[in-house]
Amino acid sequence: MAMITIENLKYKYPGTDRLALDGISLSIEKGEFIGIIGQNGAGKSTLCQAMIGLVPQFYHGAYGGAVRVKERLAEQVPVQELCEDVGLIFQNPFNQLSGARDTVYGEVAYGLQNLGIEREEMKSRIERVLKQLDIWQYRDRNPFDLSGGQMQRVAIASILVMQPEVMILDEPTSQLDPEGTEEVFRVVDQLSRTGKTIIMVEQKLEKMAKYCDRLILMQDGKVVDFDTPEKIFARDDLNEMGIQPPAFVRISKQCGLSNQDGTYPVTLESTIALFEQQSDKENLTQKLKPEVKQTVQTQRTKELFQMEDISFSYQKHIPVLEHLNLSLDQRTTAIIGQNGAGKTTLVRLLKGLLKPVSGTVYFGGEDISKKTVAMLAGKVGYVFQNPDDQIFKYNVLDEVMFGPLNIGMTQEEAKEKVRKALEMMGLSGKEKENPYDLEMYERKMVAIASVVAMDTDVVILDEPTIAQDYPGKKRIGDMIASLAEKGKLVIAILHDMDFVAESFERVIVMAHGAILADGTSKEVFAQDTILKEARLQKPYMTQLMERFAGK
Amino acid sequence: MKSISLYVEKGSWLNKLHPYTKLLYILTAIMIPLTGGKLWLFPVMIVSSLVLLLSGRIIKRALPLVGFSFTLIIVIFLIQGLFNHNNETVLFSIGWITFYKEGTLFATRIGCNILNMLLAFGVFVLTTSPQDLVDELEKSGFSPKFGYVINSVFQILPQMMATKDTITDAQRSRGMETEGNLLVRMKAFLPLISPVVMSSLINTRERAIALDVRGFGRKQKKTWLYDRPKCKWDPVARVILIGLMIITIVWRVL
Repeated sequence: MAMITIENLKYKYPGTDRLALDGISLSIEKGEFIGIIGQNGAGKSTLCQAMIGLVPQFYHGAYGGAVRVKERLAEQVPVQELCEDVGLIFQNPFNQLSGARDTVYGEVAYGLQNLGIEREEMKSRIERVLKQLDIWQYRDRNPFDLSGGQMQRVAIASILVMQPEVMILDEPTSQLDPEGTEEVFRVVDQLSRTGKTIIMVEQKLEKMAKYCDRLILMQDGKVVDFDTPEKIFARDDLNEMGIQPPAFVRISKQCGLSNQDGTYPVTLESTIALFEQQSDKENLTQKLKPEVKQTVQTQRTKELFQMEDISFSYQKHIPVLEHLNLSLDQRTTAIIGQNGAGKTTLVRLLKGLLKPVSGTVYFGGEDISKKTVAMLAGKVGYVFQNPDDQIFKYNVLDEVMFGPLNIGMTQEEAKEKVRKALEMMGLSGKEKENPYDLEMYERKMVAIASVVAMDTDVVILDEPTIAQDYPGKKRIGDMIASLAEKGKLVIAILHDMDFVAESFERVIVMAHGAILADGTSKEVFAQDTILKEARLQKPYMTQLMERFAGK
Repeated sequence: MKSISLYVEKGSWLNKLHPYTKLLYILTAIMIPLTGGKLWLFPVMIVSSLVLLLSGRIIKRALPLVGFSFTLIIVIFLIQGLFNHNNETVLFSIGWITFYKEGTLFATRIGCNILNMLLAFGVFVLTTSPQDLVDELEKSGFSPKFGYVINSVFQILPQMMATKDTITDAQRSRGMETEGNLLVRMKAFLPLISPVVMSSLINTRERAIALDVRGFGRKQKKTWLYDRPKCKWDPVARVILIGLMIITIVWRVL
């Protein structure tokens, strides 16, 4: 039975000329796990919103064609009614909490109250769902006090408890750390096994390939293809559509291996299985070698930061960092670890936004405790995680000019730096646009450009790859390399291990306020016990190499 | 998370009392001295509020409220005692400063009024969870939208304040001075306030969607997770409060 049928759906947001959805027809069966992939701006979220009727009911605009959910027209049935059949979960866990309840239990009950569910039924459903998602122990906590991953599970629970047959998840893990991501994927996979129809948008293609039955490939508001992950990722034109196939497909291609039907393996297991079948294993290992990038150990060891015996806490008696020693030179440095490991605290101490409780931070040999944040601004740049925390001008150019002018550059000097920064971040031609008309991933680029333009010796990036597709990540990778070439120190907090392995010379692993490991990505990702303690996963490439070498 | 609600759960009988009963208390406490017209009724009501706060074990939390009101009351005493236009009779003088009886009396009345209202509200605010109040309002037919606005203020305002701190840091990181003289602070105002407003607007849109997909605003009778446990003191308290108000009115009319 078709759960969702879409016929020739066309849609334009109000005040735009471009079709956000352009002639989409497809049908999704009950119990399928469907992934939607495509680069940013392809129309993935819009399609999700059309399936629950928010497009056009909430957004208005020009709408044509039909979306049927179990024979009901999504365009006509009010969203409040349709939500019995279709649940929607989106990126930002914080915004999905109703804000009207002060316990997890009450929050999850909120939707049921609106549906008019009887009390006993309500209680038994809530208990079941909270236990299923492993958040029963937080039932009396304030949902706003939970971590991102926990909050996102509360959001999923709040929808799940309403027992919709279809669950739509729009990049539910993009703001979560690796563990939170894994939590969400595990839960969703489990749901799909219980017969729920799942529709999920994600940039983490390795995971999509592993879990989805079929993938919808979108570009420019059109559905280019709708097929199994193997078929989709075997296409030759993925790069042109801004999609980098999963690591395993790239490796297999490189080694000239394919399945019998001409597709490539998309998961770790199937890749291993395919490799196992080959007779000439020696030769294969040789072919794999060059793919593993050897990060060049440059001799750029001029010391910039020195942290001596640093301790820090936000509240008395709850230490965040204790007796930490660290020195940073010009090598590009990634800091990895779960949320709450102390990564952001560490970089904020470097930036002088926080003052250590004890110990000293030296920058270029000088104690920074005697300087204000604004005084350090010309030396140390810091891009915050959420671009909306800093954007306030009405066009991109002014926004990016703000920092350089603040630190005393002349108009001409600033203009030149800004031009270069915008070009580097792919924003040339968007100078006059209002940042708030740009998409989230572009606003992030604006935020990065506005710090790069300040031409500081140090650039700190907090989660730069969030919400970025492959071209975006590549751009950020290139930016990091080019800053490093100019002798600048780039420090980044990251959750994307493959990106870390590709773009950084030095990797620091943090957990519970301490540094567990420090070295090249190769060294760090070889330390199994430490990664386990920090609850981190290895890059896919490393996983494959190890499995393969181990055989 | 920092809460902006003053409510404290102490498990006291005041916590268990129905929010409406406590609202009725506020009405009574304000009405009696005003209708009764006698100055001594103020201390009676103030003492009764203090006794209630004491029995609810929240007197400590009420003290800052009182402290705050005292600054106001002192200012009123100074202004009225010195400059009230009816001032004729000298009460006392300190050097060249002369306090008059009329103004002081007037100030006493206002001061008592402020203190009385504040403490009566304190009894209500400190012992009633906003969520509880809103639920009860909705049960008795108030619009859920109205209820949501009240409820969300208590959850979302603290979050906005946290956002403001992050934004301050983000702008300081770009070389903006946020500390210093008035001019510096005024210059810093726009870069701080517009991200707060814009991100709240974006959040609001997303939250509106989140509420929609959870069936908020359906034309259907809501159900409730909990019934308020009936408190045996509610009827008694209401009868006493209404009785007191009637007595005052009758006494005044006679």
